[in-house]
Amino acid sequence: MSQNSLLEVNELYVNYGKLAVLFDISLKINTSEVVFLVGRNGAGKTTLFRTIAGFLEPREGEVTFKGDVISGMGAYKIARKGVKYIHQDKSVFGDLTIKENLELSSYATGDYDWEPVFAMFPKLKILLDRKAGKLSGGEKQMLLMGMAIIGKPDLVMMDEPTEGLAPHVIQDLAVSFKEISKTTTLFIVEQNLPIIADIADRVYCMREGKIIVEEGCREDIQDLCFEKHL
Amino acid sequence: MEIWITAIIYGLASSGILFLVSLALSIGYGLMRVVNMEAMVYYSFGAYVTYTIMSLTGSFILGALGGMLVGAGLGLLVETQLLRKIYNREMMFTMVVTFGVFMIGIGIIQFVWGLEPKPVASPISGIVKFFGGVQIPAYRLLIIVIAVIAYILIQLMMNKTIIGKALRAGIDNRENVEGLGVNINKIFTITFVVASAFAGLGGALNAPLVMVGPYMGFDMLLFAFITVILGGLGSIKGTMVAALILGQVINVGGTIWAPLATVGPFIVMFFTILIRPTGLFGKDI
Amino acid sequence: MNKKLLSILGPVIIVALMIVFRYLFPNKITFLTEVGIFSIYVMGNNILMGYLGYTSFGQPFYLSVGAYSAAIFFAYFGGNIFLAIIVAIVVGLLLSLVLAPGLMRLKSSYFTLINAALCMIGVFIFERLLIDVTNGNDGLWFRGNMAATPLLDVRYPKNFFFFVLLILLIAFYLYQKMDKSAFGISMKATKANPEKMTFLGYNVFKIRSIGYAISIMMSTLAGSLYAINFGFVNPNLGENTRAIEVLLATLIGGVGSVFGPFFGALGFLGMKDIVSTFMTRWEFVVGVLTIIVLFKFNRGIWGLIEDGAGLVQRGRNKKTVKVGE
Repeated sequence: MSQNSLLEVNELYVNYGKLAVLFDISLKINTSEVVFLVGRNGAGKTTLFRTIAGFLEPREGEVTFKGDVISGMGAYKIARKGVKYIHQDKSVFGDLTIKENLELSSYATGDYDWEPVFAMFPKLKILLDRKAGKLSGGEKQMLLMGMAIIGKPDLVMMDEPTEGLAPHVIQDLAVSFKEISKTTTLFIVEQNLPIIADIADRVYCMREGKIIVEEGCREDIQDLCFEKHL
Repeated sequence: MEIWITAIIYGLASSGILFLVSLALSIGYGLMRVVNMEAMVYYSFGAYVTYTIMSLTGSFILGALGGMLVGAGLGLLVETQLLRKIYNREMMFTMVVTFGVFMIGIGIIQFVWGLEPKPVASPISGIVKFFGGVQIPAYRLLIIVIAVIAYILIQLMMNKTIIGKALRAGIDNRENVEGLGVNINKIFTITFVVASAFAGLGGALNAPLVMVGPYMGFDMLLFAFITVILGGLGSIKGTMVAALILGQVINVGGTIWAPLATVGPFIVMFFTILIRPTGLFGKDI
Repeated sequence: MNKKLLSILGPVIIVALMIVFRYLFPNKITFLTEVGIFSIYVMGNNILMGYLGYTSFGQPFYLSVGAYSAAIFFAYFGGNIFLAIIVAIVVGLLLSLVLAPGLMRLKSSYFTLINAALCMIGVFIFERLLIDVTNGNDGLWFRGNMAATPLLDVRYPKNFFFFVLLILLIAFYLYQKMDKSAFGISMKATKANPEKMTFLGYNVFKIRSIGYAISIMMSTLAGSLYAINFGFVNPNLGENTRAIEVLLATLIGGVGSVFGPFFGALGFLGMKDIVSTFMTRWEFVVGVLTIIVLFKFNRGIWGLIEDGAGLVQRGRNKKTVKVGE
């Protein structure tokens, strides 16, 4: 098991100032898995993601990626090591064109091959010179996912990628998730049960800053979600 | 008629200086949410270094280059040693800290150069005659040319280089730029040093036009503030537009009624802010 | 118990200490008078900084408005000192009524800068625009016009000292009342989270405007006392360069406390007094001090006093527990 473990979180405690928000979080993501993180609002999902991505420093515990400790390393270094994090707010750089957005991803990783991105999201190639601020929610999410896979990261973390999108867009995105998961490990915060049931290998459920359930059996995932999450 | 054309061209020269000096403030706020009041130290040092080098070598160009370099060096020192540590603090804190640095800068100037204002001779004394009897000192035209070149360079940097793209993206959302693997602190340091160099250049260029004294930064601080507030904190385009407007308010306004040259910019800013609390191009941040 | 006692005795202790100092160092009476006036000025700024979360780089403007209100009153209208002070406070109130609707909508960074601009406009108005009334840079002299006051003729510095102390005492009690009132608490709550206060049904704009008005009136009151103390006023009083003084004094004293401003004023003016004996220009010292205070000393003198009192209190509590066992 530990041979192919990609990301490990060990006994992580995180505070906002004096307020403790995450308690004793331990989890493990294996290479080429698709893992979902569910839980109510305020359960600490985003905080956990931000800590893994390096935007918050843990009070105790550590995060290791490919065997190296990455917690406390600084967000941009973690990103360069191959952990990409797509925020919940779908904030592309509105002032920049799609092309410039992609250039920024390429600059940091040194990977200027955009063909995989265009293969997955042909629309981006057409809109290349459009200001990203003028895109629809679904297009923004596509751009963000496109930017995330530039540089061939080992792990892509997405925070509620389908939130606020129209149902048919969500269906398209679900296809893209599967596509990305062929080459990359995925760790996703999601509320959309059909998607979870469809593509999850494992699910972690959080409540009040703790991980309360880990479910790896595919048949049980849907039940778990209904039971614990709703 | 000539008097108005003269005023407009003088106004462009003022705009040029305002733009150069205000840039550091605008970028500091836009990217890091720091109102870096100490930026005027770079401006003052730019002027003083120009004075010293010019009185030693007689060369204004060397002086201005020296002023730029010293401005850039101070910017580098302050950004890496102080600003970087206080980015996440509340606005009040950073404003008072940077104001403290500004005071220290004034104190150092007093210590090194004394309290007496230093005169700097205009490097070129010719007068350019235009059609219709308009006469403009060549030096003012030189300022306009330099400011235009500076603006073009900044635009090129912002739009064509990856640093500029990262900077624009960072003004939008700093964290997401880091999330892509870009070292935003490094980008900011580079930009800040460039902006400080421009502030130094602004000081050098303004030296022959004003008395170079320990408090010159104070007067300029107010005008630089008006420029960035009017344009909207964090918007470089806004800074440019505001500098253009204020240059005209100072000079054309001053031609209409002399006191407008000092108080006109404040009045313009005051009413703009009351109508649009985030300035002309500012976002609600 | 302890707190209640402190709130009643605190102002009296401070004023009593001032009087003791006055007789201990008879040649420092001007300094002590200035500490008293400056305290009121700092208390005004403390409302903006500590209660509303606004940093103003324009407090000298309000100070000079108060000073000029009193000065113009003396020079052109009458000699009654009490009336002059009331005029200054009323002018402060009117000024805040005019400015609050615009200023209290602003984010704190814009507020700071707009106030800096106000300072500049103020100097311009008093130096140039009203030059026929104010004599511009020569200053407006009016000492001869001030009329004697009954009981205690405050035209004499030694009497004026007691008059300032009396006003300071009243200011302390009112300030304390404000601090404890629902209004004082709602100001601090607004500082911490304006959105939440709005959701809770409070009119944030109104809370801020009232706080702002009190702050301005305290500044103009201090300004009028300055004017009476010096017997003349010139535009320098309102210069931007002096904006940092009141901010620094507020920080030194401890932001957002009742007695902090007094200790801030004392600490700041004391340091200025000492430094100015061996340095004519002291920008450098002010700058260094500002940074030290902000980084190492951010709860100010009052924070230290509170910590000290807390230790004593805790020590006592421990003892009582032991006795109880």
